[in-house]
Amino acid sequence: MSDTLDHTRRNFLYVAAGGMGAVAAGAAVVPFIGSMLPAADTLAASKTEYDVSTVEAGQLVVIQWQGKPVFVVNRTPELLKEVDGHDEMLKDPNSEEIEDVSAEWMTPENRKYRAIKPEYLIVVASCTHLGCIPLYKPSVGRKEWGDSVPENWPGGWHCPCHGSLYDISARVINGSPAPHNLHLMPYKYLSDTKVVIG
Amino acid sequence: MKFKHFLTVAGMALVLALPFAALANEGGAALKHAEVNTADRDQINRGLTVFTEVCMGCHSAKYVTYKSLIDYPEIGLTREAVDELRGDKPITSGLISDLSPEDATVSYGKVPPDLSLIVNARRGGANYVYSILTGFEKDPDGKIPDGTFNEYFPGHRIAMPDPLGWLDHDEADTAVLEAQAKDVAAFLTFIGDPHQNERHAIGKYVMIFLILLTIVLYLLKKEVWKDIKH
Amino acid sequence: MLEKMMKTKLFGWIDERTGAEAILKSQLTEYQVPKNLNYMWNFGSLALLVLVLQILTGIFLAMYYKPSAALTMGGYTVAFDSVERIMRDVNFGWLIRYMHAVGASAFFVVVYMHIGRGLYYGSYKGPRELLWIIGVVILLIMQGAAFFGYLLPWGQMSFWGATVITNLFGALPVIGGFLQEVLRGGFAVGDPTLNRFFSLHYLFPLLLAAIVGGHVHALHVVHSNNPTGLDVHEGKSTIPFHPYYTIKDAFGVGVFLLFYCYVVFFNPQMGGYFIEVDNYVPADNLQTPPHIAPVWYLTPWYTILRSFESKLLGVVAMGASLAILFLLPFLDRSKVRSARYRPVYKQMVYLFFITVIVLGYCGHSAPTPTLKLIGQIATTYYFAFFLLLPFVHKFEKTKPLPEEI
Repeated sequence: MSDTLDHTRRNFLYVAAGGMGAVAAGAAVVPFIGSMLPAADTLAASKTEYDVSTVEAGQLVVIQWQGKPVFVVNRTPELLKEVDGHDEMLKDPNSEEIEDVSAEWMTPENRKYRAIKPEYLIVVASCTHLGCIPLYKPSVGRKEWGDSVPENWPGGWHCPCHGSLYDISARVINGSPAPHNLHLMPYKYLSDTKVVIG
Repeated sequence: MKFKHFLTVAGMALVLALPFAALANEGGAALKHAEVNTADRDQINRGLTVFTEVCMGCHSAKYVTYKSLIDYPEIGLTREAVDELRGDKPITSGLISDLSPEDATVSYGKVPPDLSLIVNARRGGANYVYSILTGFEKDPDGKIPDGTFNEYFPGHRIAMPDPLGWLDHDEADTAVLEAQAKDVAAFLTFIGDPHQNERHAIGKYVMIFLILLTIVLYLLKKEVWKDIKH
Repeated sequence: MLEKMMKTKLFGWIDERTGAEAILKSQLTEYQVPKNLNYMWNFGSLALLVLVLQILTGIFLAMYYKPSAALTMGGYTVAFDSVERIMRDVNFGWLIRYMHAVGASAFFVVVYMHIGRGLYYGSYKGPRELLWIIGVVILLIMQGAAFFGYLLPWGQMSFWGATVITNLFGALPVIGGFLQEVLRGGFAVGDPTLNRFFSLHYLFPLLLAAIVGGHVHALHVVHSNNPTGLDVHEGKSTIPFHPYYTIKDAFGVGVFLLFYCYVVFFNPQMGGYFIEVDNYVPADNLQTPPHIAPVWYLTPWYTILRSFESKLLGVVAMGASLAILFLLPFLDRSKVRSARYRPVYKQMVYLFFITVIVLGYCGHSAPTPTLKLIGQIATTYYFAFFLLLPFVHKFEKTKPLPEEI
């Protein structure tokens, strides 16, 4: 014990044992935390197929994708016109701050529609503020909304929780607490009307 | 005999005896041995084919999804192959037989058991499956009608009709049928515990690591204790 | 290393507010332990390790397990399906579940060794009576926790095991029917039973953790026994727990993990002993499996139960076989603790160990007249061992005790 060589050996063994113990503990964490990630069957259910032709003109349908609500809107030509003319009211008219810009089909002309086929808008139905589901308030019902929304709002979605407003392309209006436009999710058309989301 | 020695002997005897004791098949003849290799992708895939073409006529394997046939590296089917196999069933569906429980009860008097766990749920495991499939004989006592007598089934009278056509097969087909039975036993062994190969693979590293760790701890123990006289 | 850590500023700050230094000193660095403990003394710390492993794996399993007996396709249930989902779909679910299932058996292996050591070296004798009694309480709660846990997969063995055991309680006079209803929550074992068993299976380990704390505290008051059974004198015959026994226990943990991980990774069902074959068959309340037996760690008591023709007598005997453990410190009147110096007791205790193994074997096997007779003989000795103890010291010539350990 008094001899230095002995001391070195002992210290080495302490460090080796301690190090290996730490490695073992670290490795043991992997399966436990790993088990809390989504399971294989949950991941397998991560895609949703939907036939957009079942949505009637001007109507909105809420479907489920990965347990989250998703809006599918059939936008009539009249509604499609309403995407223009209020860019100055929007926080992010071209959705540059969110992942939308990276989508392959997102051409500059497509930006204002935010959809592969402009007539069918498909967006995640969670307000980007705190996740409530915004109410669909298209321009046709303008009178019914009364004072709950500003006079010059072009119509779209109104979040009941904290009053965020979106236009008919689900782009957020200036002055809303929501920081971003409603999110898009990856999707593609399998046929003319059948989309797979996810 | 010292206490320690007694315990060592008793412990060793138990550990050695335990795994063998429970393997015997109760109430049937001694089982035939099936060579199955759950790491043999070819054998498992051949077994899958037998399963989907023969067994699935009546039996399901509800815990095995079509998706998993792509995901398990031991099976590794392509998406296209699975799409063909599943028809219009969803990819998250299990391998479910088209025979309804009601129709099965009418035809066979009972609902055929789900086969997802059959190897785990029968004493003898894969050997049991293999033996049953190749166990259709003529009743030596002539009491049980042909096709319902199985040498290896407890009580010998089996409700399952001879699935591989073993009873009246030609001598020349013996090897083929035996291979089919072994293959499907291998497939069923695999799906009974689909992570077993992964488990063994990880286990090897764990054991090597633990042996090293234990050696280091032993040396450290000796080192720390060497000033203690006892 | 611990000493270095205790000199740091941060530790000083904590110490001022918690008295951590005094605790660490009294429990570790200055806690005196006899220097001659053999490796049989490792099983205490191993039991603690397994308890922690069981609680940890159990918490993660409970994130996916669903205690519902609602039927699903193919005669399975929501509960059974959720276990299979853990085994197949949950990331590393197979590992955590096998760790838990093997851990249950490992817990009993370790604790039975721990109890055997206590018996052999007379660790139950004064002043450690209460330490022993707390230990018996721990054993009973463990058996309860294991019994509740075994129902959860809702396989054939789960269901029929629970049916048989709840019927046992029903055999008791006066309170039997009441107890049975309280356990089952219905006319037979069913969905309400499963739900309450899950709740209790979660509760019992927490109770266990608290009582284990009491066990360790009691130990630190009366201090460890040792292979000679002599009272130790501080200084000459003792060494501090840390670093000597922390390191020795760590080595024991290494050896234990070798066995444990080998089984978990290469033979988790242990040929049907750790996870029974019939428990892969979904529970069917209309069909009893041809041969039902409890898991191995409960089979000795099951044999005692079966050794009596009368149901009531069997239940009472089984209860008595456990209850008599509480009395052990008061039954043994010898002044000498360790079997090393007690030739008669030594033979008796060896025979007792063999008896328990024989009882276990009989309980696991299908009953035959021969086995039944063997079981009855073993049961007789099981009780005889305890009932002879008050008289052994009268004629036993103990060997001379050494002066010092």
